[in-house]
Amino acid sequence: MLLNDEMICMDLDAKSKEDAIRQLAMIAADAGKLVSIEEYIESVLARERTYTTGVGNGIAIPHGKSKAVRETFIVFGKSGKGVEWEALDGKPVHLIFLLGVPEAADNEHLRILSQISRKLMNENFVEHLKKSKSKEEVLQAFKDFNGS
Amino acid sequence: MKIVAVTSCPTGIAHTYMAAEALEKAAKKMGHTIKVETQGSIGIENKISQKETSEADVVIFAADVAVKDEDRFSGKPILKVEVQKAIKNAAEVIKEAEAMVEK
Repeated sequence: MLLNDEMICMDLDAKSKEDAIRQLAMIAADAGKLVSIEEYIESVLARERTYTTGVGNGIAIPHGKSKAVRETFIVFGKSGKGVEWEALDGKPVHLIFLLGVPEAADNEHLRILSQISRKLMNENFVEHLKKSKSKEEVLQAFKDFNGS
Repeated sequence: MKIVAVTSCPTGIAHTYMAAEALEKAAKKMGHTIKVETQGSIGIENKISQKETSEADVVIFAADVAVKDEDRFSGKPILKVEVQKAIKNAAEVIKEAEAMVEK
């Protein structure tokens, strides 16, 4: 599975969008997913500048496709007090999904990411994640809503 | 009403699929049939056929980059919106599509 407990941060405390992206990218770097953290962060921020990935409902899905990524990954971060993200609905985000994709990503991984993106449109799934207090509950939510 | 839609975004990793899901949900809820083709990083998925195009009442492009093979849909009413609008308010997009058909 693409998401595991190593790639989850339940108590993200970030001052800004950039700070949140950096902290979550650090987790990916520690797991060996990045060739260059700075280059990866720059690709994510460049993407954010096109338009926000704060899609509303307290969710942000920052992502970067870059040769600075060694292996496709997802890092999930949860912030209790929320992070300002210039979201579509103007509200702070509490659930952050940081995605990284290498230039030559295989379709199987891309498909998993596309399924996760679709899941974020599922109110029940999002509610589960908002209520979850442990990494186990987060992973369980991902399992329960598999393919839905 | 029969709708066909295409979603697409610059990186093709997240928004393409979120918009597709949002449009499918909203259209079904409002009693329409819909088929959404995604043009993302995986390539074209759920491709809309010639037959589906000819039977469609309206076409929706929720795309921030050029839709591939756009001329497939020539002659049909086409509603073009930004991909983020479909994510934020898919019901509104479907309503606009309804209005185009009623005209």
